[in-house]
Amino acid sequence: MALHTGRGISAIEYPTGMNQNGDPSQAWIKIKPDGRVDVFSGTSDIGNGSKTIQSQIAADTLGVPYEWITYDNSNTDSSPLCTGTFASRATFVAGNAVLKAAANAKQKLLEIAGKELEIAPEDLEIIDGEVIAKGSPQKKISVPDVAAAATWTYGELITGTGAQLNPYAAIVDPETGRVDSPPHAAISYAACAAEVEVDDETGEVRVEHLWQCFDVGRAINPTLVEGQIQGGALMGLGLAVLEECYPYYPSVEHRGGEFGSYFVPGIKDLPKIDTIILENPSADGPYGAKGISEMANNPQPPAIATAVFDAIGVWVTELPITPERVLRALERKEQGPRREGKWTIFDDDLSVRTVAHEKSRFRFPVGA
Amino acid sequence: MKAVGARLPRYDGVAHVTGRTQYVDDVRVPNMLWAKALRSPVDHAAIKKLDVKKAAAMKGVHAVVTWEDVPRLVYGHLEALGIPGDEPLLAKDEVRYKAQPIALVAAEDEETAQLAVEAIQIDFDERPALFDVRKAADPDAPQAHHWGNWYPHFEAEMDVRQIRKGDIDRAFDQADTIVSGVYRPAAIEQLPLETQTALAVPEPSGRMTIYSCTQALYFSMGVVAAHLEWPLNKLKFVGGTVGGGFGGKVDTATETLSALAALKSGRPVKWRWTREEEFLCSSTRAPWHIEIADAVTKDGWILGRRMLTLHDSGAYSRFSPYGVTKHSFHHTGAYTIPNLHFDGYCVYTNRVPTTAMRGFGVTSVSFSTELHVSRIAEVLGIDPFELRLKNANRIGDTSPNGIAYSDPSTVSTILSIADAIGHELPADSRTMTRDPRAGELLPKHLVEQVGKVDH
Repeated sequence: MALHTGRGISAIEYPTGMNQNGDPSQAWIKIKPDGRVDVFSGTSDIGNGSKTIQSQIAADTLGVPYEWITYDNSNTDSSPLCTGTFASRATFVAGNAVLKAAANAKQKLLEIAGKELEIAPEDLEIIDGEVIAKGSPQKKISVPDVAAAATWTYGELITGTGAQLNPYAAIVDPETGRVDSPPHAAISYAACAAEVEVDDETGEVRVEHLWQCFDVGRAINPTLVEGQIQGGALMGLGLAVLEECYPYYPSVEHRGGEFGSYFVPGIKDLPKIDTIILENPSADGPYGAKGISEMANNPQPPAIATAVFDAIGVWVTELPITPERVLRALERKEQGPRREGKWTIFDDDLSVRTVAHEKSRFRFPVGA
Repeated sequence: MKAVGARLPRYDGVAHVTGRTQYVDDVRVPNMLWAKALRSPVDHAAIKKLDVKKAAAMKGVHAVVTWEDVPRLVYGHLEALGIPGDEPLLAKDEVRYKAQPIALVAAEDEETAQLAVEAIQIDFDERPALFDVRKAADPDAPQAHHWGNWYPHFEAEMDVRQIRKGDIDRAFDQADTIVSGVYRPAAIEQLPLETQTALAVPEPSGRMTIYSCTQALYFSMGVVAAHLEWPLNKLKFVGGTVGGGFGGKVDTATETLSALAALKSGRPVKWRWTREEEFLCSSTRAPWHIEIADAVTKDGWILGRRMLTLHDSGAYSRFSPYGVTKHSFHHTGAYTIPNLHFDGYCVYTNRVPTTAMRGFGVTSVSFSTELHVSRIAEVLGIDPFELRLKNANRIGDTSPNGIAYSDPSTVSTILSIADAIGHELPADSRTMTRDPRAGELLPKHLVEQVGKVDH
C-alpha cells in the first residue's frame, strides 16, 4: 500500500451568452425626486450575484454612489424581459442592458442639469453624485437637485431604457456547421493545474491543490468572481471524483434519493485553491467583462484525471473517478493501449466498436 | 468612489445568511391548497387505464389535473429556436421514464393530496426500456421516442449535428501518430437547496400570479402562457431570487401544473417537491459518450480530429438538441485544429430527461478533449504545457465553424499556471503570445486556415 502524488493540467475556453446568440435582455431605470435610482431588470439572481453586479454597473455608468441604487427584479409587471440567468449571460448581456439604460437616464439627467447650469449637456459630467462642468469644477449641481428640478420645476420624469441583443448566428451549412456570424457574445479562457494523492490500496483519490487562472475580461466585483471560480472548483471536483446519479450507469437501478447516498463535495473535500484573475477586457462587455460562471466547473475534471495518471499510471476516462474505477484500472494497468500501425488505441472496451451492434449507425472505426 | 472593480458585499447576502430572504416556499396566502403528483412507477409503458374519479371525490380534494385539462399539452421550450416540442405536460397514453408526471392533485393539505394520488386507478402495459446510448441504433433496440431513438430535426431535418472542416482524410494520412480514446462524463444531480416549488394564485381580476423559483422569469412565463394559451398580460411572475439554480430551474417544472390546478380549483395552489423528488424526478446533467481520434505529428501538432458524441437526452428533448449544437461548436477546445469531422447525436433513453446544467454541452468537451490532449502529450513524450501552447488558439485562428478568434487568452492563462506551479519552460514557450501565427508557429498545415500572414 502506498500513497502516490500526481499533477495534471488543462486549458479551456467557454462562450458568453446563448450559443448562436439571439438572447435579448432589457432594463429600465427611473430616478426618484431625491436623485436615488431604481433599476428594473428581469434577471433572476440564482446565487451568482447579478443583483450586485448590475447595481455596480448602474452606479458607475450614472456616476452616483452604489448606495443610491435600488435593484428590483422581483416581478414581470414592473421588470422588462431578460432571457434568463443561464449561458453565462447575466453579467455581459443583461449587464449591458443595464449599462445602456443607465447611459440613457444619464443623458436625460444631464439635459435637465444643463438647463439649471445653462451649460450644454455634452460639457457636463457626473462624478460621485454631482453634475460638474468639464474643466470648470466650481460650476456644479448635485444629482438630487437635478432630480428635484426635473420633478418640481420641469414636470419631467427622468428614466432610461436599454436593451442588449447580439444578433442570431444562423447555421448556413448544416453539412459543415458553418455559421454566418460569431455564435457567441464573447469567449473566456481558463487554465488549471491539479495535484492529487491516490491510495493504491483503497483507490481513493484526494484532490490536494487546485491552481486556476481565469480570463474574466474585467472583474466587476473581484470577491464575487473569486466566489464563482472557487465554488465552481468544488463543483468540478464533485464531477471528477464524487458525484453520479446512476452508480451503475447506464442502468437506472440503485439511484439514491437522499443526501446520505449521494456524495457532494463537503468541507472535508476542500483542497487548497489558488485563484489567478486575468483581465483581458472584452471589447463589447460592460466595462470589459466576460461571463465565466459556468466554465468555472469545467477545467478541474480533466486536470484531476490527468493528475491521477501522473500518480499511478492509469487513465480513468469514466467519471467520477471512484475508488472502484481506480482499483479496476490498476488491475489492468499492464494491458496498456492497443497499437495498430500508427494508431494508439485506448478504451476499446468502452467504444461503440465493442458495445454496439455491427449494423449500428453509431460507428467509430479505428486502426490501420 | 468607483463601484466597478470594488469588493462590494453581495446585495442580498446578509438576508441570505440570516434566513430573512423570502423564497417561494416562504410565501403563504389565504385558502391555499397543496399539490402532489402521481408519477410513473415504471420506466416505459402504455397507459391502459387512468381513472381519477375516486381520488377527485375524496374529502379535502379540490382538483385532479390530468392531460385532458391542459389546453396545449405539448409545448417545446425551444420552439422559437426551431426545436419542435415532444414532451406532454402530463402523460397521456404512455410513460417513457420512471417519475414522469401523470396527474396532479390539489387538496387541503399535502397528506390528503398524497392519499388522493394513491387512490388514482391506473393500469400499465409495460414495454422494454432503452438505457444505453451506445445500443440505441442497434437493430433490436427498444424504441424510446416517437421520433426514433435520436433527434431528427437539426437544420435541413438532419438527424445528426455535423461539423466538417478542412480535409480530414489527408490529415489522418499525414499524421505520424493517431491517438484514440473514449470519454464518459456522468450524470450528476443539480441539487439546489431550494427544491422545485411554485405557488399559483388566481386573482379576482382574472389574472394569475405565479410565485416561481425559475432562473428565467419571462422564459417560464412564456412556457405557462403557451400551455394555457393565454396572453402574457394575464400572467404575473414573481421571483428573481432563487435558492440555487444550475440550469435545472430553467425547466419550468412546477409553474404550469400549479396554475392549472389553481384554475380548476379556483384556489391558490402550492406545489413543492420533496427532497426525494428533487433527487429522483428532476432533470440531471446529461451523461455523454464521446469518442475521439486525433491525428498528430511527432513534434506535437494536432492536424485533425474525428469525434463521435452520443448525448444521453433521457426520454424527451428539453434543451438537449441545443446542448449538442453548443458541444459541437466547441469540440476543439482552446486549440486550433484545421481538419475536423464531428458527428453528434442527441439520443433518447428511458431515463429522466436530462437538461441544461452549468457548462451545458461544453463541460463534457472540456473533460474529454483535455484528457485526450494529456494522453497525446504522454504518447508523444512531449511536455503537456508545450504541446498546449503550440496548438493554442491565437488571434486570427478559426473556430470549428469558421469564425476568427479576436481575443484568445489560452497562451496567457497557460503561462500563468506554469508560473504558479513553478513549471519550467524553454524560452520559446515562455515568451509566447496570442499574436497572429508566424514563423515556426505557422506550419504548412495551418497556412490554409489562417490565410495569408505578413511576416
